[in-house]
Parts: sequence; C-alpha cells; structure tokens
Amino acid sequence: MNRVLTCLFWLAIALVLTFITLPLAVVVAASLSPSSAVTFLPWEWTTVWYGNLLADRWLQPFLLSVKIATVVAGISGVLGVLAAYAVVYERLPGSTAIMAGLLSPLSVPQIVKGVAIVLFLSIIGLQGVLGTPALIAAHVVLALPFVTRMAATSLANFDGNLDRAAQSLGATKRQRLQHIVLPMIKPGVLSGVTFAFIISFNNIPLSVFLVRPGDTTLPIAVINYLEYSLDPVMAAVNVASMIFILTVIFLFEKVGGFSAQLHGGSK
Amino acid sequence: MNSFDIELVSVSKSFAGIPVVQDLNLQIPRGEFVSILGPSGCGKTTTLNMIAGFNTPSSGDVRVRGKSQNRIPPERRNLGLVFQNYALFPHMTVAENVGFGLRMRGTPKAEIGKAVDAALRSVRLDGFGSRYPKALSGGQQQRVALARAIAPKPSVLLLDEPLSNLDLKLREAMRIELKEIQEQLDMTFVYVTHDQEEAMAMSDRIVVMWQGAIAQQGEPASIYRNPATRFVADFVGRSNILSVRRSIPGPTFLELCIDGTQIVLRSDCAGNNAVQSCCIRPESIALLNGSDSGTGPQNRLDGVVRRIVNLGAHVELLVEVATGLSLMVLVPSSRSSLVPELASTVTLGIDPQDVQVLSD
Repeated sequence: MNRVLTCLFWLAIALVLTFITLPLAVVVAASLSPSSAVTFLPWEWTTVWYGNLLADRWLQPFLLSVKIATVVAGISGVLGVLAAYAVVYERLPGSTAIMAGLLSPLSVPQIVKGVAIVLFLSIIGLQGVLGTPALIAAHVVLALPFVTRMAATSLANFDGNLDRAAQSLGATKRQRLQHIVLPMIKPGVLSGVTFAFIISFNNIPLSVFLVRPGDTTLPIAVINYLEYSLDPVMAAVNVASMIFILTVIFLFEKVGGFSAQLHGGSK
Repeated sequence: MNSFDIELVSVSKSFAGIPVVQDLNLQIPRGEFVSILGPSGCGKTTTLNMIAGFNTPSSGDVRVRGKSQNRIPPERRNLGLVFQNYALFPHMTVAENVGFGLRMRGTPKAEIGKAVDAALRSVRLDGFGSRYPKALSGGQQQRVALARAIAPKPSVLLLDEPLSNLDLKLREAMRIELKEIQEQLDMTFVYVTHDQEEAMAMSDRIVVMWQGAIAQQGEPASIYRNPATRFVADFVGRSNILSVRRSIPGPTFLELCIDGTQIVLRSDCAGNNAVQSCCIRPESIALLNGSDSGTGPQNRLDGVVRRIVNLGAHVELLVEVATGLSLMVLVPSSRSSLVPELASTVTLGIDPQDVQVLSD
C-alpha cells in the first residue's frame, strides 16, 4: 500500500515537472534544428543558429535589457527595503494604508499602466524621457511591490529580541540596522531583488509603449522579429535568455544563501 | 553615592490605561543576586524591561547607581540582558556574538579577542568560538548568550527566565553554574522567573510580585518560613492554608479558631482579631506516636489518613482532621516505618512557631 502511494507521489511530481518543462524542451530542440523552419524533434543537430546571437541586432537589446534590469533591481531593492523598514519596523501610523498604496500597482493591468504612463508623460510634456529613463521608472513601479512585500515579510518574521539584545549590548540604531536587521532580512530582500531583475528583463506590456525605435529591450526585439519571421534563431535567442536568467537566479541564491549558517556548521 | 546598583522609586506602568506595575519601590544592592518571582502577568517582565529601558515608566524613577535612567536609551545603560529564547544572532559565529558588544563600542580587535576568550571560558565553552549558534544545544546556546551579555562587563546583568526553555536536569545544573558565575564576577544579577525552586536555589534575595506590586521580599529561607500573605504562602512552596474564623491574642500565644471546625491552633505569631488565614508547611507537621506526650509540639490533632501519594523522596499524606478539613503532611521516605496505613487514625503535632499568620 505504502509502496503504491510512494509511486503515485513520484509519478505526480514527474508529471508536474514534465508539464512545466516540456514547452521549454520544445524551444531548446527547435533552436538546435538544422532546418530553417521551426521543427520539434529534428533528426539532426546543429548549433549554428547560436552564432547569430552575437550580431548587434540581438546583442544591443540584450545589453540594454541587462542594464535596465540591473538598475531596476538596485533601485527597487533600496526603495523596497526602506519602505518595509518604515512600515513594519518603525510602525509608522497608517502603515496598513501605506502598504496598500505601495502594493497597488499590482492591481492595474500592465497594458493599462503602459498607456497611462505614455499619456502622463505627454501631458506633462516629458516625451523626451521615453527610452531608458522611462523604462527604468516604469519597471521600478512594477517591481517595487514584490521587493517591498518580500522585505516586509522578512521584517515581520524578524525576532525583536535580537534587536533588543543588540541594543542592550550598546548598538545604536544605525549599528543595529547594519549588523543585525539587514543581514537577517537579506535572503528575503535578495529574492525580491531577483524577482525585480527578472520582471524588468522579461517585461513586454510596459516596455512596448516606452522603448524608442531602434533602441529596444530584448523581449521587444523578439516581438519585432517575430512579426516577420519564425525561425530557429528565435528559439536560440529564447534559450540563451533562459540560460541567462537561470544563471542570475543561481548567483543571487549563492550570495544570499546563508542557509548553511542558519542550519549549523561553522566558519 | 549609595551602594545600590538599581533603585526603583514608586515606579508605575500602565499599558493603554491598564495598570501593570503599581507604585513599585525596590532597591538592589551591588553584587546581589535578586530574583523577581511571580506568576505570569504579575508585572515582573515589565519591571525588568523598565530597568533595561525598553519600557518607560508611566511615573516614578528608575535609577542605576544613583543616576536617573528615564531619559537614557537602552543602548547607553550598560546593562547586560539574557533572554528566554537566547536571542543569539544566527548569522554570526559564537565568537562574533560574544564580541558584538565590544565591537559596537569600537574596542580594539586584540582586546575583543581576549575578552571573548575569557567570557567563553567562564561559561565553559572555550573552543566553540568558530561555530554558529544553530550548531549548539539549547544549554550551550544559553551559555553563549550569557557570555555575550557579560563580555562587555556591564554593571548589572538582567536575566528574563533564561532557563525556562531547558530540560529539568540541565536547568538544575545551570542554576548552580549561574550562581557560581555571578559570585566569580561579583556582578549584580536581576533574575526574573516564575519558578520558585529556581529563585530559591540561586538568590540572595527574592522579590515576590503579584498584581503589579511587591507581595513580599527577603531572603529565600525567610520567605519560605514566614510568608506574609496568602498569595506568597500559596505560590512559594506547598502549604496548608486554613481560613481563620476568629483569633484571640493570648498571653504568649495567638489562638486561631479554624473556620468551620472546632479546631483551635496556637501560633507564635503576633496578630490581632482580624487574622483571616494561616499557613502550615506540610513538612513541618509531625506524626506523633500515641505514647508521645507533654513535652512535644503544643498543637495536637487527631485525624484519619485519606490518601497516600508516593513522591519518591517523600510520602505525602492527606489527613482529615475534621469534617471538610484535611491537612497535607510530608513524611521522608527514609522513615517509611512511620508511614501509616490508609484509613488509620494518626495524631499530628504542629509546633506553634510553624503556624504562620497570613494577611490578605
């Protein structure tokens, strides 16, 4: 009986994983196809399409996306931590309302937000910031709720006795923030920042309104390309950006991963 | 300059209009081990937090070495603090934890190293410096917390139920260790606990708190022997508490008529007509042989053994001495020949000095 249950358990896991990864497998397979038409399960393999990735057509948008995502991750990381600190740790009056306000961008569809930002910029006569500055600002608005929420949750779980212990040991507020509070909420903040990076890097609905012609982010470049052609280069671009995102997640895990410290071990 | 490390001068504290501590006056001399003992909700932790500076008194004054602390934030009070849940910094090694206080003060590295080693040695954890707290047992973690608190050499150490999370054997061992460390460092310890045995075992002085006020304070033995109120008699140790209908001051004794019975007990206590209750510790009641007479204790009561409970070292008897009145009697197991049969009749002897008059 138990055996059967165990088998079913693992079967369920395998099915879910297959369900999640099969579309990705299709893309990977297509990117390796020697025929210029997109096919699944090609009988021969080639990596020739990946050579195209270094062309300016893909490299420039990729670099722009990385640049914007990095800045967005940094800004929303700092703002998110500050907001969560004020609301949760300092218990500002009206903190529930403030938190609701900070999370409100989540409730507006991105397309609507994109249109709204373009309209807003043209009304106040700032069409000039379209392109990188507008993209960064818009992506921060989009990513901030995630970072704030993650930081707030970490702070809410933070044991106040740690803070009191540090205080009784003579640590000033700034010292406690630096040595106790921030290190303790680091894992939560880092996962929030990772989300911010990915949200910005992958964004289409907002970016599509805000890019300047000829200076686009990678997802917009992909959209533009898809309008005219569907070939294995496309698949190669997607596989490469997937690998890039996975690497980013892995690196953030490494930096924030003090699971070893929290679960024992020594230095 | 006086010799009190800590003084509370008519300190009161209320939260949202509800009084938690009321007009508390307490003086703690330098180098003393003082326990604040009381049930949960008696205001003992609030009192400790006011000394530490995490709570501000609603009125009154907290003084450390004669200096008012009301406007001084916790980080500048130079008091060590030990918590029930250890509150070790999980992202720092044991050595980093212990050195934290000195590091925040900008002490030179070499000095910190020495102080950390000394502190770890005094809690017998030398060699554990490079480990992380989660790799240690509960008892070891609490000793790290203790080392962390004493490393910056605070004037006073405040301990908030530090042993409550440990198991019984370890708790008993740690009691002795804590007392030894306190004597070695000659530091003032203020120890908050709800465990009366713990308070008895370690303290130079016990402050029993109830409903936000001090119910009684004194040396452990005198609190146990002479509880002043019904609450203290009940909370500290086990006792037979009897309601008194009427008390008659005699030439040398106070005669207490026990409510609802014909029993009259003599007590050595001074008292008046208003005595409401009295207390007799179960171990101070003697089982008398029939032949025993005259010279022995002056209160003699006959009763029937209704229940016998073996507690290991002791046997507890419940003896019905009158309708509706039973006394708990504790007999050492080593004198098992004295333990009577169930339902047998026994004579109890109670020395008048063991009948303690209580006030409410």
